Amino acid sequence: MASVSEMYDVGWEEMRDKLRKWREDNCRNSEQIVDVGEELISEHASKLGDDIWIIYEQVMIAALDCSRDDLALTCLQELRKQFPDSHRVKRLSGMRLEALERYDEANKHYDAILQDDPTNTAARKRKISILKAQGKGTEAIRELNEYLEQECLRCVCCVKMTHPQLYQSAYCFPCHFHSYGKAAFCLEELMMTNPHNHLYCEQYAEVKYTQGGLENLELSRKYFAQALRLNNRNMRALFGLYMSASHIAASPKVSAKVKKDNMKYAAWAATQINRAYKMAGRGTKENKCSMKTVEEMLESMQITMS
Amino acid sequence: MPIQLTSQAYCKMVLHAAKYPHCAVNGLLVAEKTKEKKKDSHGEPVLCVDCVPLFHGTLALAPMLEVALTLIDTWCKENSYVIAGYYQANERTKDSRPNQVAEKVAARISENFSDAAIVMLDNSRLTMSCFEPIVLIYDHHENKWKSREVTFDCFEDWSEAQKITSALLEGRSYENLIDFDNHLDDLRNDWTNPVINKSVLDLC
Repeated sequence: MASVSEMYDVGWEEMRDKLRKWREDNCRNSEQIVDVGEELISEHASKLGDDIWIIYEQVMIAALDCSRDDLALTCLQELRKQFPDSHRVKRLSGMRLEALERYDEANKHYDAILQDDPTNTAARKRKISILKAQGKGTEAIRELNEYLEQECLRCVCCVKMTHPQLYQSAYCFPCHFHSYGKAAFCLEELMMTNPHNHLYCEQYAEVKYTQGGLENLELSRKYFAQALRLNNRNMRALFGLYMSASHIAASPKVSAKVKKDNMKYAAWAATQINRAYKMAGRGTKENKCSMKTVEEMLESMQITMS
Repeated sequence: MPIQLTSQAYCKMVLHAAKYPHCAVNGLLVAEKTKEKKKDSHGEPVLCVDCVPLFHGTLALAPMLEVALTLIDTWCKENSYVIAGYYQANERTKDSRPNQVAEKVAARISENFSDAAIVMLDNSRLTMSCFEPIVLIYDHHENKWKSREVTFDCFEDWSEAQKITSALLEGRSYENLIDFDNHLDDLRNDWTNPVINKSVLDLC
């Protein structure tokens, strides 16, 4: 089988840089990481310098995703040799046990870390992930809530700034289990510490919309609008603005002024949506069909909403 | 009326699940709209000719789901299709039961198509060789969703479906599968998946 460097005509530096970019962007393209990383490690290890350790970690985690226990073990053993007492490596051992579904042993690893260092977020997060993997959703959410409360009492700003991931998982789990109130709370915290992040605004708006009711719809419309102010190319925010404004305008409980205002917002959003599709479809025949479909959809919704 | 899957519909569902192994995925199944109801059409299976992959990750949020349903409904009308079913693959390998989201969407589809079905993918049996069908089909009976026995009759041509799906999985075609989430990230991404459809046709 052709090597990655042969297939894509890249040198080892490019492969190393690609791995770094995937690390920074937190991509979970595990198959590609394994392909590139395995070749880099086996043929260019000596050239990587100290980068090799973080690459071992990255490749090990990707290998677990791809059921490549052989590769994962190789990476883990190198890391254990180099960092024999490290909590970070111990956590990786735990993750390997999780991948093998040996959850009790994995939990023992994490408990050992937490005994040594009760503030170790990574270990807490893994324990919660195990609960989730075992289908114990309610317990997982409870543990997460407890942890977040404890952290809030100790050092509010610190946690939110340094652990957005924790809040993000905190938002995903509740959504999965339909605890939208909890999801909304997590997103509120995230928005407070990351006011320029259009994704949090838009996700918050989606949660509010899902919760339903006129008040939540109006809140959702405001946050979709805010997301658009932060990034005018966020299509989800644009569609969301259109949907929420249309629903509000169609509600029998609103005043004539509110109805008129929302119809205006919806009409504006519809124009922007059509324009975005037009720009995307420039030059391609297939996308012109898509544009037509969107125009018709928006028209038909106007009819049902009015 | 029970549903039947073409190779294209089946393989795109499996490719969607394969593209996002760490996420839940869902999508819609479409069938050709029959011109008139024949008198003896009872018991004749509804052939789902295609599927539209929708989302991966968080499936339970309403606004984009509404947009997708309305948009795809409009597209169906233009192409004489009708939304006939819903598919979902859960996040956890061992969990293949339909949840609240699945039931809600299926109920919505049933408003327009009375024999709508839920197709769940059994993640634990997903393999490269696809030697057996990995779907569970649920029909709505007396206010409950009941699973039906899956036989080769649930497919227009099982051996063709198996051959094509396996070939596309080996060739990592799932890397190019576009779902509605990908489309919202970049409007140029085409959720009708013409490239994959062509690959399926070439393999037939």
